[in-house]
Amino acid sequence: MKKILVMGREALKNHAKGPVTKHVLKRIAENPPPEDIRTIPRIIEDRCIMCGTCVKVCPTHCIEIEKDNKDNGMIWLLKPQCMWCGHCQTYCPVDAIHIDRDPNLSVSLFSFNIHQDYEMLVAKGSYKGDVADKKLSDLIEAGGKKIKEVEEFRG
Amino acid sequence: MTEQYRSRFRTLTDGSDAPPGADHHIFIGPQHPWAEEPAHFIIHLKGERVVEADIRIGFNLRGIEKAMENKTWRQNTMLIPRACGICSAVHQNVYVRLAEKLAGIEDQISERAKLIRMFSLEAERIHSHILWYGILAHDAGFDTMLHVTWRDREIILDIVEDFSGNRVNPALMLIGGVKRDIPKEKADRAQPMLDKLIKQVEYHKKVFTEEASIRNRLEDVGILIKEDAKKVTPNGPTGRGSGLPFDVRKATPYELYDKIDWNLVYYTEGDILATTLVRLDETLESLQMCKQILYQLESTQGELLARVKQKIPEGSYFARGEAPRGEDVHYGIANGTDTPERYKIRAPSLGNIDATLKRMDGEYVADMPVILRSYDPCFSCTNRVMIINEVTGEKMILNQDEFARKVIKAKKYNRPFF
Amino acid sequence: MSDVLKELEGILNVALPGNLVEEVIKVEEGHFDVMSNVTNAFELMKILREDAGIYHLSTISGVEKDDEFNVCYHIQHRIEDEFREVPINLIITKIDKNKPKTPSMIEFFVAADYYEREIYDFYGIYFENHPFLQRLILPERWPDDVKPMRKEYGWEQIKEITMKITKEGLEEAK
Repeated sequence: MKKILVMGREALKNHAKGPVTKHVLKRIAENPPPEDIRTIPRIIEDRCIMCGTCVKVCPTHCIEIEKDNKDNGMIWLLKPQCMWCGHCQTYCPVDAIHIDRDPNLSVSLFSFNIHQDYEMLVAKGSYKGDVADKKLSDLIEAGGKKIKEVEEFRG
Repeated sequence: MTEQYRSRFRTLTDGSDAPPGADHHIFIGPQHPWAEEPAHFIIHLKGERVVEADIRIGFNLRGIEKAMENKTWRQNTMLIPRACGICSAVHQNVYVRLAEKLAGIEDQISERAKLIRMFSLEAERIHSHILWYGILAHDAGFDTMLHVTWRDREIILDIVEDFSGNRVNPALMLIGGVKRDIPKEKADRAQPMLDKLIKQVEYHKKVFTEEASIRNRLEDVGILIKEDAKKVTPNGPTGRGSGLPFDVRKATPYELYDKIDWNLVYYTEGDILATTLVRLDETLESLQMCKQILYQLESTQGELLARVKQKIPEGSYFARGEAPRGEDVHYGIANGTDTPERYKIRAPSLGNIDATLKRMDGEYVADMPVILRSYDPCFSCTNRVMIINEVTGEKMILNQDEFARKVIKAKKYNRPFF
Repeated sequence: MSDVLKELEGILNVALPGNLVEEVIKVEEGHFDVMSNVTNAFELMKILREDAGIYHLSTISGVEKDDEFNVCYHIQHRIEDEFREVPINLIITKIDKNKPKTPSMIEFFVAADYYEREIYDFYGIYFENHPFLQRLILPERWPDDVKPMRKEYGWEQIKEITMKITKEGLEEAK
């Protein structure tokens, strides 16, 4: 029952092949990430009705909405906090959200740049342009304060 | 009864409270190269033999149960898979079945949705088991096997990634159905990959049963006989290796497990080799089931997602599922609003600790890594209830938001994290 | 109720005395909720463990109601020939909120140790006759009187306490 060198064939085969790391680049080129990979959500502006469902269902509270009593408004995404679960896509009543298939994951996970923390998903009506830019700078300021608090806490 | 199992009730840290006869004390963890996850084992030795063993847990509390009371049922669907890194789909499955039962819509789930859920569960079992016996071989000093198994594990991970968009955390399930469909092209692409993996797992089984250098490390080590197993109540593969033939999929069938062909695997020897063989055979069973499910998907049609109201009516329900590590137990209480009143998770590893400590009695210290690994320890599973996110080394506690910002800042100014 | 009780007795093959059981609910086919109060729970568990031969304890969960605590023992009756299990939730009701106290079931199940200590941590329910009722999961510095899973402690309060004990730890390390 008990034998030794059961793995002899495997060993010889691997010996003939040489190190695997030699072929890494080739293997990555041969096996790109699948088409349906999940990354951050995107909103189609024409369809969005500013109902706020995506904000309610988001488990990590990474989507923020600001709107007036008409349907003007904008939706912000806090990129590092999004875990790409796709709840916003599933529960969107008008199918305005789709999950981006951009496989450039490392850039969207930790943007390395505080100005890219918040990303505007959609802006409608009077909230476009200057108003949106001002809102973005406010958000960055708020984020900066939080970082300051952490610094103080650490001493 | 408690007299026989005194070991746990000792409070030793300096050896003053050690059991009589022990002359050496070994402390493993919380940070130790053997274990990827934090747990503190205290092993009392007499010479080379183990007299008693003890464990401390609680180094990885994240407060999921408390957090769940502050989120809605819908949001929790995506929080619950984070209870465990590897067996995420089964936690989500048990959760959605519990919520569906409370909402009273468990009849409305279509067969197609159930089949897709089952595929996700079985794929998870396959990759978790392959991961486990790879690490077991590594602990036994047989690193070649680690590399071979993990190379072959990529096949199933590629399939999961293709179907769900994520590698390890498929997160396919929702209350009322599933998130994504498995179209025919994808299923056709997966079939030859599964065939290849079946061949590879049969080869792994051959190595574990025939190769002397690994078999000698596992055979007759850490024996847990059936009478002891009944007292310390192991679950999952740990119990099935000791002759307790209970699997939640057979015991109280959920999804479509009663309508699909599969065999319950159990061994009666009770040593580490038996639990290894249980997992190897289960991997083959699961692969066979995956092929069946993909075949059945071609002829089954149905709605993927049933309509569920946000508010879940009052009631309580106790749901179970068979995780790769054992029985996963959830108990949920709804109070008529859209948030749960109370949600309790018991992940399988906590139930298996007793059995593992029992296995150690009288064994050699050199066999400790293998025995400790035998129940597939997962301490994210074991303790999940506070909000500490403790980063090792320097103590620092951050919430997720702050953590993300911290990383960004560290990268921006190109300086170390701490 | 009596029909359901008879069915359960038929499955377990024991007689459950009527004065020990408050109520039996059939959740679904082969799945029962059994209610009992603090004074009778120990004797009921004795019958279930020793006469009916139930040896598997899945978990124990603590529940906070408006005016009382409940402790729920999730046990499985195992029928080995058919590879079948019958889940039974034994719910212990009427645990006084001011002085929460309930008998420990460690006599019957060794596995009850971890689960009872976990509930002692999170709810402060005292288990009588437990030989080693000590902190299991909460951090060392956690204040003794704060029982985090009780409803009186909100999410924000727990956060504050966590930050506070960490600060203390950091200062001590200096």
